[in-house]
Amino acid sequence: MRSSVKGRGNVAATADDTAQHTHASPPHRGRRRPGPVAMVISFFGEMLITAGVLLGLFVVYSLWWTNVVADRAADRQADKVRDSWAHESDGGERDAPAVYDSKNGIGFLHVPTMSDDDILVEKGTSMKVLNDGVAGYYTDPVKATLPTSGKKGNFALAAHRDGHGAKFHGIHQIEKGDPIVFETKDTWFVYKVFGILPETSKFNVGVLAKVPEESGREKAGHYITLTTCTPIYTSKYRYIVWGELVRTEKVDENRTPPEELR
Amino acid sequence: MGLVPWYDGRDGMYSWIWRHLPGNGWVKALISLVLVTAVVYVLFQYVFPWAEPLLPFNDVTVDNQ
Repeated sequence: MRSSVKGRGNVAATADDTAQHTHASPPHRGRRRPGPVAMVISFFGEMLITAGVLLGLFVVYSLWWTNVVADRAADRQADKVRDSWAHESDGGERDAPAVYDSKNGIGFLHVPTMSDDDILVEKGTSMKVLNDGVAGYYTDPVKATLPTSGKKGNFALAAHRDGHGAKFHGIHQIEKGDPIVFETKDTWFVYKVFGILPETSKFNVGVLAKVPEESGREKAGHYITLTTCTPIYTSKYRYIVWGELVRTEKVDENRTPPEELR
Repeated sequence: MGLVPWYDGRDGMYSWIWRHLPGNGWVKALISLVLVTAVVYVLFQYVFPWAEPLLPFNDVTVDNQ
């Protein structure tokens, strides 16, 4: 008797459940309420999947999307600089000293062994500047000496290793003796790499000094310093490359690059 | 159906969302796609740029802080 009632109850429930769905769905697929443990586990599992997808998306964002955005910004700003150079030349003001707008880039960095890009150089090393896919010269903690000033000192630069244009991504491909060329409106500054420090503390401000002693140089000179983070994809240490001015070349009508870039 | 809490059912919140989308399978799929795109947009445009400076992956300068 009891069992038959129970059986009928079951049948009724199944029929009800089926009615809610389409008629085609088989009765055994009817929903059953899971226990609290199953519910917690299922909730936890979905959270894990969600977290995994989020982290994956963040990787896509960091290594791909920020490059897209930064390259766009860098191209726009580089065009602006090239345009203003062209206009100043057209205006017949060739003799006037170059006026540098600190908001705009001051020139382009060419490092053929690192990348084929010309890297726009702007003032400052804040994330806001560097995230536009450019290299920045230091204003803090040590003020970089601009090559255009003609003074002896250290032209210290920083750029991203990964994401945000990743302009210094290939810094490990630079070897001693390789050229680094800095292009301004009127002059090519040709540097030669003489020192590499593949790993140093991020607090090692000495590498930016006017005479960076760790590079082996002891006298004042016209130095250039590239800094970025290392190992790739992290920010644990800093990678340093030092170069020394070899010569300068006047920019001609066609902006013919110096032989190092040809 | 309207009374079941979001965590009810066999398999969690995503199937709950799926069940509450209107229309047939194709419409649901289309709406899901739009929702996913919207979420990714918000993440890339607002959430990740905000989160990034808080994470130690992108410091490239040397300094004394």
